[in-house]
Amino acid sequence: MTNQQQPILKLSEEELVERLRARDASVVSVLYDMYSPALYGVVLQIVKIEETAEDVLQEAFVKIWNSFESYDASKGRLFTWMLNICRNQAIDAIRSRQHRVNTKTEDIEGPQVSGFSAAEFKPEYIGVRDIVDNLNPEQKQVIDLMYFEGLSQSEIAEAYDIPLGTVKTRARSAVKVLARFFKGRA
Amino acid sequence: MHNEDYIASGVLELYAAGGLSLAEREEVERRAAASPEIRKALDEACMAMEEYAVLHAVQPRPELKNRILDQINASIPTHTSEPDTAHNNVTQLLYEEDKAASPYRWMFAASIVLFLLSGWMSFHFYTKWQQAEQKLATVTADQELLAQNFKNTSFQLQQQEQKLAILQDPAFKPVKLKGVEAHPDASLQVYWNPQQQQVYVNVVKLPAPPAGKQYQLWALKDGQPIDAGMIEISGNKGTMQQMKNIGAAQAFAVTLEPVGGSKVPTLEQLTVIGNVES
Repeated sequence: MTNQQQPILKLSEEELVERLRARDASVVSVLYDMYSPALYGVVLQIVKIEETAEDVLQEAFVKIWNSFESYDASKGRLFTWMLNICRNQAIDAIRSRQHRVNTKTEDIEGPQVSGFSAAEFKPEYIGVRDIVDNLNPEQKQVIDLMYFEGLSQSEIAEAYDIPLGTVKTRARSAVKVLARFFKGRA
Repeated sequence: MHNEDYIASGVLELYAAGGLSLAEREEVERRAAASPEIRKALDEACMAMEEYAVLHAVQPRPELKNRILDQINASIPTHTSEPDTAHNNVTQLLYEEDKAASPYRWMFAASIVLFLLSGWMSFHFYTKWQQAEQKLATVTADQELLAQNFKNTSFQLQQQEQKLAILQDPAFKPVKLKGVEAHPDASLQVYWNPQQQQVYVNVVKLPAPPAGKQYQLWALKDGQPIDAGMIEISGNKGTMQQMKNIGAAQAFAVTLEPVGGSKVPTLEQLTVIGNVES
């Protein structure tokens, strides 16, 4: 969370989980401050429209709060669990008819939030360029289609006529590259 | 699959990048929960993608935070017992939900309202329809009764007209048949038209015939009885009954005979008799 503009209260993941499990609603504010920019970024990439992205994030946070007892810390990280909820919500939103109508209007009326336009012009996101240098275009395409377009491995294989095995290999090497890159930065 | 092979298969990276279906994700989570080795590899992949997400982080509009916190706070049941506070909370909850309503929620609410409305209208019109059916049935029954009454009345009127025509016709000779000694109260009226040979009887008063017996009218011509037909005893006193045609007679008489009549009158059973006035 190095990109936050104002200082925010941070808690450890264990403490967050403990207080959320105890139905401490005051901790939702901390949770939101800590994770909403990263979650919102992914949601916005998937749904492309700010208004829809806000609705999705709101529904996702309400869901995170309401179904927190279903979070099992043994199965994975808190952020991963929350991101999965946000992604499901976002994918549902783009697959609903309502979204298709909105997108059409957006296409005609003005520029849509696309790819990395917002991120690339902000100095604090300069790291994206380093990433692009590290990932080859094929790896980046696969990882972005999954992460930011909400496509599954088989959907990518079908839509881009790439063998499923190749999709898997590219995704795996992309994540490996990212893991090395971020470890090197830390 | 051994843990090492499972880690090497690339499925954990696919999980982290969001390329798996729900069922595939659940399988990965199950394996991660069962094996610390897999869990560690999964966390590494997920943290890499988490960092990737952070790189693309976008700060949402500040209003969104309040919107979300308000909705979550509004959903928490209150433990205060003061009615005023409770009331305020309820109002706020409704307000917040309105504000946060997505088009689906509105459409859902609208569809419920429409459903209830259509249900109510169906019931309303069904009830109206049933009432109308019932009224129609009553009116139809009334109308049938009225038609029946009208038919009866018309029939009676026709009979009365016929009777009146006979009474007013000078060609008809009225013959009054009086009771014999055995039946002093009995009486019968015969109307006879000698030209057209028509005979009508009007039962004024006759004793009720015993079972298996019937009254028979006779015309007496030169002392010879001629069968003039059986008399039907009907409840209607005013009924005029047409009998067999008689060309010539000096008198008429009625005897009690077995049902269907006899060829010759049983004189012991003579009930009424009367002479034709010339």
